[in-house]
Amino acid sequence: MTQTSISTRTAFFAKHRASLGVLLLLILMPFIVGLFNGASPATVFVNGNGQSKFIQGLAIEIFILALYALSFDLIFGITGMLSFGHSMFFSVGAYLTGIAIKSFGLSLPATLGWLVIAAIIQALLFGMVLPRVKGITFALVTLGIASVFHIVVMSSELGPYTGSDVGLQGVIVPDFISPANERLRFYFIALTVLILVYLLYQRFVNSPTGRVCIAIRENEGRAQMLGYNTFYFKLAALTISSLTAALAGFLHTLYQPIVSPNTAGLGFTVTALLILLIGGVGTLNGALVGAVVFRLLDYGLRRYIGESASFISGAVYVLFVLFIPYGIVGTWRLKSFQIKQGWERLLGLFR
Amino acid sequence: MEYILDVQDIHTFIGQYHILQGVNVRVPKGSITALLGRNGAGKTTTLKSILGLTPPRNGKVILEGREVQGMRPFEIASMGIGFVPEHRAIFRDLSVEENLKLAERSKGDYLRKKEFIFGLFPDLERLISLSGTALSGGQQQMLAVARALVADNRLLLIDEPSEGLAPVIIENMMSAIRQLSSESTIVLVEQNFLVASKLAEYYVIIEEGRSVKEGNMQDLANDKAAIHRYLGAA
Amino acid sequence: MVSYFRKNYILLITLSVFVALFSAAAQGMSQQDFIITLLRGLAVGSITFLVASGFSLIFGLLDVLNLAHGTLFMIGAYIGWTVFVRPDTFVDLLTPLALIVSGFALRDVYPLLASRIRLGLRMKRILPWALALVSVLILGWILPRYPIAYWDTGNFAQSPVTYAFMASQGTRLPAPLAAFTEISPALGLIGLLLASLVGAFGLSLFASETQSTFRMTWKNFIGFAILLVIGLVGFIFNNALTAFLLGLSSNWLFLVAVIVAMLSGAGLGALMESILIRPLYSRPIYQLMLTLGLSAIGIEMVRAVWGRPEFVMPKPVFFDGTGAGCPATSFADWWANNCSTILLFEGRVRVYNEIFIPLVGLVVLVSIWILLQRTRLGMIIRAGVQDREMVEALGINVRRVFTMVFALGVGLAALGGVLAAPSMGLSNVMGESLFLNALIALAIGGLTNYPGAALGSVLVGLIQQFIIKYGQIGIPIPFTEIIFKPTPPLVPASTVLLMVIILLILPNGLLGKKE
Repeated sequence: MTQTSISTRTAFFAKHRASLGVLLLLILMPFIVGLFNGASPATVFVNGNGQSKFIQGLAIEIFILALYALSFDLIFGITGMLSFGHSMFFSVGAYLTGIAIKSFGLSLPATLGWLVIAAIIQALLFGMVLPRVKGITFALVTLGIASVFHIVVMSSELGPYTGSDVGLQGVIVPDFISPANERLRFYFIALTVLILVYLLYQRFVNSPTGRVCIAIRENEGRAQMLGYNTFYFKLAALTISSLTAALAGFLHTLYQPIVSPNTAGLGFTVTALLILLIGGVGTLNGALVGAVVFRLLDYGLRRYIGESASFISGAVYVLFVLFIPYGIVGTWRLKSFQIKQGWERLLGLFR
Repeated sequence: MEYILDVQDIHTFIGQYHILQGVNVRVPKGSITALLGRNGAGKTTTLKSILGLTPPRNGKVILEGREVQGMRPFEIASMGIGFVPEHRAIFRDLSVEENLKLAERSKGDYLRKKEFIFGLFPDLERLISLSGTALSGGQQQMLAVARALVADNRLLLIDEPSEGLAPVIIENMMSAIRQLSSESTIVLVEQNFLVASKLAEYYVIIEEGRSVKEGNMQDLANDKAAIHRYLGAA
Repeated sequence: MVSYFRKNYILLITLSVFVALFSAAAQGMSQQDFIITLLRGLAVGSITFLVASGFSLIFGLLDVLNLAHGTLFMIGAYIGWTVFVRPDTFVDLLTPLALIVSGFALRDVYPLLASRIRLGLRMKRILPWALALVSVLILGWILPRYPIAYWDTGNFAQSPVTYAFMASQGTRLPAPLAAFTEISPALGLIGLLLASLVGAFGLSLFASETQSTFRMTWKNFIGFAILLVIGLVGFIFNNALTAFLLGLSSNWLFLVAVIVAMLSGAGLGALMESILIRPLYSRPIYQLMLTLGLSAIGIEMVRAVWGRPEFVMPKPVFFDGTGAGCPATSFADWWANNCSTILLFEGRVRVYNEIFIPLVGLVVLVSIWILLQRTRLGMIIRAGVQDREMVEALGINVRRVFTMVFALGVGLAALGGVLAAPSMGLSNVMGESLFLNALIALAIGGLTNYPGAALGSVLVGLIQQFIIKYGQIGIPIPFTEIIFKPTPPLVPASTVLLMVIILLILPNGLLGKKE
């Protein structure tokens, strides 16, 4: 190996020290948690019950949420389209997975294939309205489309498939990724998926296409004047986002014993929005950090406060808005780079 | 000389852009002062910074001996500034009369000034009940200037009064502005050097966010080299 | 005229489609069903309109999507209920609330005070926090000891459900007594006032310093003085006031409840705008998070205070007669007997739900219209919707108008809440579905268009009620024997679909103007 490649490699490690550290921590976490509770790594490895397994479960939920939030960040934070129907992207994936496996007995690869098709179709559906409506009207139209889907899912006529208002349950998950018996494997699969998607997103945002998407967010008219057909870029962002959210839904169905119809409702879109606002809109990292904070906050409050948890979480959101003005990642970046050019841009983002 | 407005080295940011990087403007009382410069040089931003609509980050704006930078726009305007913005900003949902009434700063301003305003712009009187959208460009410009006259303003900031108007109407507008200058001080932003040179007594040239040259309009009109250098072909 | 048709042909076609649909709907049912359904639709439309118009005023002028609007609607209903069913609690609350708010009424004075105090940099940073903390501590100590006679959500016999039920039966449960036992009255009053002043001063220090042309005038103290007087009067004449309110006929008491709910809604709105929303005008998207958070807080507060179970609000006797001569056969007959129902075209119409509420909706529609068209405030609002900067450049304090409009909008929502309470009943979630309705109505009519809000609300109300009605009687499909009965999920689905279709045809809504 030559000198230069070693130095580039050192530079790579130096540059990504923090991210790599977090990655290592995530890989080791199940075993470390196990050790704290007196379970040897071997026990953890064969999925013995215990604290580690529980933490893995929580982490898997966070990974899925992060995936979902990432997909929202792409269309909202990066491309600047406020969609109030994003939960549909997720729940179509979740329900389709459940129905394909449970009612049609499809294998996982076949399910994934159908999922890709469905995701592209619904991205096209959302894309169809793009040329007509913008801004808040787009938000309302997407809300409308998603609400209709929500109502369809809840309808009693489709009960045998969707479980109507009870939720879809009884999906038989293949043994090798069973969340009960092979949770560690599930954990690593979910982690890998998240990391791959995250890297892909970073790549996308820094690609020429991604740059145009950011330009659309900043000023669509100007992007058009530069000769870009912004419609195709928005459609591309929608499609990638839809695919990612469907993937998150896929994992959700495999992991959770029941797919609640709430995942199709407005509330779940708001969840994605809150995650981004907590983490930082348009930063990608913010989606990950936001998902962790959101889920842990939610879990902690429900566990220790119980019924009136949403009072505290509401108060936390208000305090967040007032004291961490641009989300965790956004604010941190601003503090560390003082008058970095991004900050005024962030101010003007949604005017 | 007594200055009604003294802008000292203001720096203004819009978004991440450092638009004004040190602008000095002194406006003698009772004069017409023109801000000249190429497109995007920062003339409009200078006017808005004086009013506090784009508050300057550094520097001073002294209005009749009082520092006003950092005050809210309505407070600055209430001290006696009338603003005629670029593109006129006529309120579409309001009738011509309501547009004028809105500019009242104390009750009865409109009734008191009515005669003076309609004397200046006789056309407006017959349009009084039309909505703002129904006006032509020239009528809108008249209304925009008239709006700045309703309250007792000692200083008028007029942005591009000749923009997009037919030559005849520009003539009317110029004579109106000349009449006004006997009552109040005027700061004029003007692309059209001919118009500016006929109206103004003093000038300030702004280039890339800095004020680079000032003086008597008479001198500038004779200085072909400077006109060519700062304003392009004259 | 011709050009008007050419310009608005899409709108005209859409409207004629609606007219055709409604006349088709009228064919399928008997005349009395049609009238009743029409009135019900108007009633739902009126309540929707009260929420939608406030929301749209706020959105139009301030560009704030107030997602807490539905929750504020609900809070209005609960406040109205409290005044109506438990006036004693209301009177007890008057004093502490007035005192706590009074400090904030002095907000124009604090900047002057702050500029007089010269402090070190560190003190400047600590002082606001210290003052806020002191205020919270004083409040935390006094409030639990301040005597307020209220209900007990944990004990069914004394829960709001029971009070509401008894009141609807025409009797009042004896209210628990509350008196100063743990602290002396003077300590309580002075403590609350002090906490309010200190807290408001502390909060005002958080705001960045700006120069101001402020002059000390008596006007800055009016609000404070009024609140102080209210507080003291409420304290001194506590029992007399309670007795007076209890002695009122339920019609007058209902009027008091409506006014109090509206005013407290307006106050809440003003407080919300000036403290929480104002710092966020430069980053609008975070307003969504803030208002969502406030909405969650509001719902939980209501749950904590009034409990989770649903309960009713009795109607004032004016609309609640059931004795001889009921149902009334004509309006004169109704006037004499105050029946709860009236026979119109052989159908029984509930006077409060189906006649009174639409009438109030109409009155509000007209009065806000007059406000917008005929007053200076309305002129500023209409101008500000288009160009806030220019309005400010004319020397108008737009920010104060913002606060007023926010107060007005929330006040309207609260009015809607208290009016809807006797017909809808009170529940923690009553705001949500109505807020969604209002959003849909606005999208249909035009987001910032006032007549559009009215048109959209009425359309939404009518469509929902007709579909509900057809859910009962069924629609015979032509040329077949099948009778189609729309299922309940179709009610929200229909309006949502309508919204999507209209927005795709007319992206700015039916009456919205093109940008």
